[in-house]
Amino acid sequence: MDELKKIDHSAMTINQVIIIALNIIAFVFNQPWLTGLVAAVMLLGTLAGRPGFGFIYQSLLKPTGLVKPRVLLDNPEPHRFAQGLGGVFMLGGALALFSGLSALGWGLVWMVAALAALNAFGGFCVGCFVYYWLTRFGVPGFSKTPPAGTFPGMRPKGTVSDER
Amino acid sequence: MSAEVLERLFIAAAISSLAVAAYLLLNRYALQRASSKVNRLPSYQSGLPAIVYFTIPTCAPCKTVQRPAIERMKASYGKWFQVIEVDASQQPEIAQEWGVLTVPTTFVIDANGQPRYVNQGIATAKKLIQQLEIEDYSI
Repeated sequence: MDELKKIDHSAMTINQVIIIALNIIAFVFNQPWLTGLVAAVMLLGTLAGRPGFGFIYQSLLKPTGLVKPRVLLDNPEPHRFAQGLGGVFMLGGALALFSGLSALGWGLVWMVAALAALNAFGGFCVGCFVYYWLTRFGVPGFSKTPPAGTFPGMRPKGTVSDER
Repeated sequence: MSAEVLERLFIAAAISSLAVAAYLLLNRYALQRASSKVNRLPSYQSGLPAIVYFTIPTCAPCKTVQRPAIERMKASYGKWFQVIEVDASQQPEIAQEWGVLTVPTTFVIDANGQPRYVNQGIATAKKLIQQLEIEDYSI
């Protein structure tokens, strides 16, 4: 079995909620540059191995106690992959918007927002699900399997600790 | 506010409403799915409302919030309902059958054995009492 790590899922949830909010704001006010910014933050976060907008949680929401940590034993790699995949779709959406392909661009932006909502509120990470299937197919670079007793892509059950 | 922004705001609201509707439908589906499984629960007594409480031993909010809430309810209204606790780590097949996504999860079953509510995450004692339709909300 893979060695699981303690992951604060609150940081990921806040990241997803901020992505949803910024995407909706970008759509309502018709600001394609904002989708480019979201894409850049997501991709940079993936490269750094942390949630792109996680710094807002780490520097503001967690210290002030507005959001409590939710530490679970989980694999970090599928979440990183999921954010990277979302970032690529966001980048595609931003490029489409800048190229005048409005329907395609906003469609991709809404898709990312919808999948982020599914993860934040439903506990199901579609990108993680894809990662685990790629592991199952033996694709090189994909090696992690879901935590025991957890459906691929679902948030692991239970909390490891209340550490802050 | 320009007409274009209003139009986009309306579209955003419509899409968001669709998402909420889909979530509510999923919850309804979970309740429907559970209805055929109530009688198969170990220690279920028909004719008495029930709370089916899914937990696991390492779940901190279950220990610190959900269990104390249920214990308080049992102390005050224990004769009006039954609590069926399912350890999802010991009985993952039951958790899967019931479509449990997280712990704690509580299902509220009425006296006719029909699942009425599902609470994914913590449910307060007051909320559970209201869902069980016990009239005194003094907890």
